[in-house]
Amino acid sequence: MVGIALALPAGLWILQVNMDEMSAQWEGRPGLSVYFTLQADNASVAAVQGYLEDQQNIDRVELTTAKDALEEFKTYSGLGSALDLLGSNPLPASLQARFAQSIGPIEVELLINETQAFAGVAEVVVEKTWLERLNELSRVVSRLGAMLAVLFGLGAVLVTASSVRLAIEARLDELRVLKLVGATPGQVRRPFLYFGAIYGFGGGVVAAMLIAITILVIEPPLQGLLGSYQQTLDLAGFGPLFLTVLLLVGSGLGILGALMAVRQRVRDLEVV
Amino acid sequence: MGQIRLQRVTKRFENGFEALSEVTTEFEAGSMTFLTGHSGAGKSTFLKLLIRADTPTRGQILVNDVDIGGLSAARLPLYRRHIGVVFQDHHLLAARTVFDNVAMPLRVAGMREREVARRVRASLTTVELLGKEGLLPSHLSTGEQQRIGIARAVVTRPRILLADEPTGNLDPDLSRHIMDLFTRFNQVGTTVIVASHEIDLIETMGKRILHLEGGRVVSDRAGDSSTESPAQSDPTESVEVGS
Repeated sequence: MVGIALALPAGLWILQVNMDEMSAQWEGRPGLSVYFTLQADNASVAAVQGYLEDQQNIDRVELTTAKDALEEFKTYSGLGSALDLLGSNPLPASLQARFAQSIGPIEVELLINETQAFAGVAEVVVEKTWLERLNELSRVVSRLGAMLAVLFGLGAVLVTASSVRLAIEARLDELRVLKLVGATPGQVRRPFLYFGAIYGFGGGVVAAMLIAITILVIEPPLQGLLGSYQQTLDLAGFGPLFLTVLLLVGSGLGILGALMAVRQRVRDLEVV
Repeated sequence: MGQIRLQRVTKRFENGFEALSEVTTEFEAGSMTFLTGHSGAGKSTFLKLLIRADTPTRGQILVNDVDIGGLSAARLPLYRRHIGVVFQDHHLLAARTVFDNVAMPLRVAGMREREVARRVRASLTTVELLGKEGLLPSHLSTGEQQRIGIARAVVTRPRILLADEPTGNLDPDLSRHIMDLFTRFNQVGTTVIVASHEIDLIETMGKRILHLEGGRVVSDRAGDSSTESPAQSDPTESVEVGS
């Protein structure tokens, strides 16, 4: 139980770390797409392209001509022969500009307005890339992980307390004799605190194993997914430091649960 | 002035039963006293109050001029280390060996293991059970178990030794043997208080007898001075001299 209680928030933490890591390594950044009217000539497109390339906030501009767009569409849609029947190209030229990382929302707004003012521009669309969504998802995972850590941590404490209570009941005779011969409350409590620490440590080990198994299971399909975005999976977070912290947190929660259980019971225990 | 003094001690339980009523008495250091009385007379409650397993509803119990009712949680264990207690059902731990049972008070007191071993052997010699330290209590007879309980009670060489019906489950010969052991501890200066309803046996011991009835002291008979002995060497030291 303690292992499961620790595994979920710890697993979410690893997930969040890796999402952050992925987002930091990702080359793609938010940007804007400029779609031209079908009537826009090359000069209009070149003017907008030139304007965008001059902006410090833009670090790359790519042109997709109407012809390129048509070829790409034919390739990926499988509707090549149908498009041939149209006689003319229904797709406009477009520009894809990628923002520099430092750009702020006001600058984005200005850039849109100024681009929109050029002749031949039909629409300017700010791309909210999946990277932004990834960052938002990472924040959700982070907060969810924190909430779950609190809830499941509390659960681990209560589970340990319950186990320690059972251990105390099984050793009541011994505790009575210990008190009778002059054991201090600390001496009576100590074995149960050790029990709690070992119990929590064991929970940490189980949690680490569960996370390791989960990683083994999801790693191959995740590798495949990231490979399609020309990314590689370098799993972060699941290292010696993480394992040490996990075991320490497990032990700490175990001790806390044991303290909860043993404190009142030992104090109220009658010697004879 | 007595080592143990009870001043108008009353113990009333939550259900209204008054186990002790206005008991005033004292015990000199190095004395031996039998508490007698029928079942429910208040003997066990008397001893429980002395080991501070419970506190009086009214009155005071002074041990060496300290009101034990006012002992803090931190000082109470230290007080109990100076008192040896023997029960009718001996309270031995079934899963621990004889050695570990007897060693428990010494380990609690933080004594070194070598000294623990020496003291445990001495105690077991006194109760004539040396050689059985590796056995579990369940492998011993009732009389032997009781003597292990006594060995545990005296292993710390307490100043006060209390016993609650220590011969309750034993035949007359064993009972006599146990009482003689208590007398030996008393002879080396230990204050001994034994609660027992075996009046015939007690009468032969020639010691002070405090008779309780309905929680009150109804008679207090002094011991026969001919049975009083000057302090001799500590019986638990018997093997230490030669070892």
